[in-house]
Amino acid sequence: ATPPKRFYKKTSILGSDDGFEVVLDHWKLKTPRGTLFTVRSEPLAIAVATEFDAQKEHIERSRMHLSALCFTAIDNPNNLSKLDMVNYLLNFIPTDTLLFQYEDEKDLQELQLSKWDPVIDWFNHRLETNLKKTTSLTPSAVSEGDKLKIAKHFQSFSLESLHGLIFAVDTLKSIVLACAVMEEMLSVEKAVALTRLEEDYQLKFWGRVEWAHDLSQQELQARLAAAVLFVHLNCSENIVKQKFNM
Amino acid sequence: MSGTKVLRSLLHELRLSSPNGCIKDSLVARYILDQYKKHQTTELLHCKARNEAMFLGQTYLTYLESLRKHKELYKQFHASGERSVRETADLVGFKLPTDPK
Repeated sequence: ATPPKRFYKKTSILGSDDGFEVVLDHWKLKTPRGTLFTVRSEPLAIAVATEFDAQKEHIERSRMHLSALCFTAIDNPNNLSKLDMVNYLLNFIPTDTLLFQYEDEKDLQELQLSKWDPVIDWFNHRLETNLKKTTSLTPSAVSEGDKLKIAKHFQSFSLESLHGLIFAVDTLKSIVLACAVMEEMLSVEKAVALTRLEEDYQLKFWGRVEWAHDLSQQELQARLAAAVLFVHLNCSENIVKQKFNM
Repeated sequence: MSGTKVLRSLLHELRLSSPNGCIKDSLVARYILDQYKKHQTTELLHCKARNEAMFLGQTYLTYLESLRKHKELYKQFHASGERSVRETADLVGFKLPTDPK
């Protein structure tokens, strides 16, 4: 089926009591479930309006990651609670990409040591955990204390932001990398490069196939960038507050 | 990337993605320029708000750039869709029932 045609000429935003809405010509944007689209952050609303404005003849929803994240956060179609989301993230840790390293190929191992280990160390330092990497097929055990500390860290995110964080973790297949990029320790490009470390290593031997490798790299970068923007724009500094200047 | 480079690249990407190539009235361009003016002068060596704004600017740039490149690659390699019936017939040397004998 062809995607819907672009039916609006101009996009803009509108401030209301609950936040900001996006307006397409004279129609107010609604989520897939039919709820009125409202976000508390003005730059986020502007970014979504821009996404809609960037559509050419057809509305390609699969390319509008920021809008998709906003819709998911507002609709919460799977009715996830904060606990559900934190548990999902916690279950990811034993199979975190960075914690699985391969010893048998020396060059790859050196790359992993020099590029992945510093991020693991940063994570352990930041969250006071002691996550250990494994070089065999079995995942390393995560202590209950570490799980609690990590859970506490995720609980500090708002419900909306957790949708963004889960999106980032799913893109990177790693909690450690997702946290590092959220805290600005890595850029989006760097994080994607690290998650693709082994793939990049292999394609040095076997060749780079533009229509697969470049495509996946750009897609991962776009998804991760959207997730990072979504989480950052949802935190309080970007939300309008009344300030009284002395 | 330095601040001015990010700004120039952002405006370039926005121009490319806008419907008519003109970003004079665009909300997002105005917002970005306002943010840049707001964080321009600071007396602190390491200003947290400014670093955060720079990071967000760079991330949004990555977002726009990656979306555009992904679309171009997809169009280049994957977007020609299915072959029409006529094309398939020509491929194997058949004639369609509608063609003259």
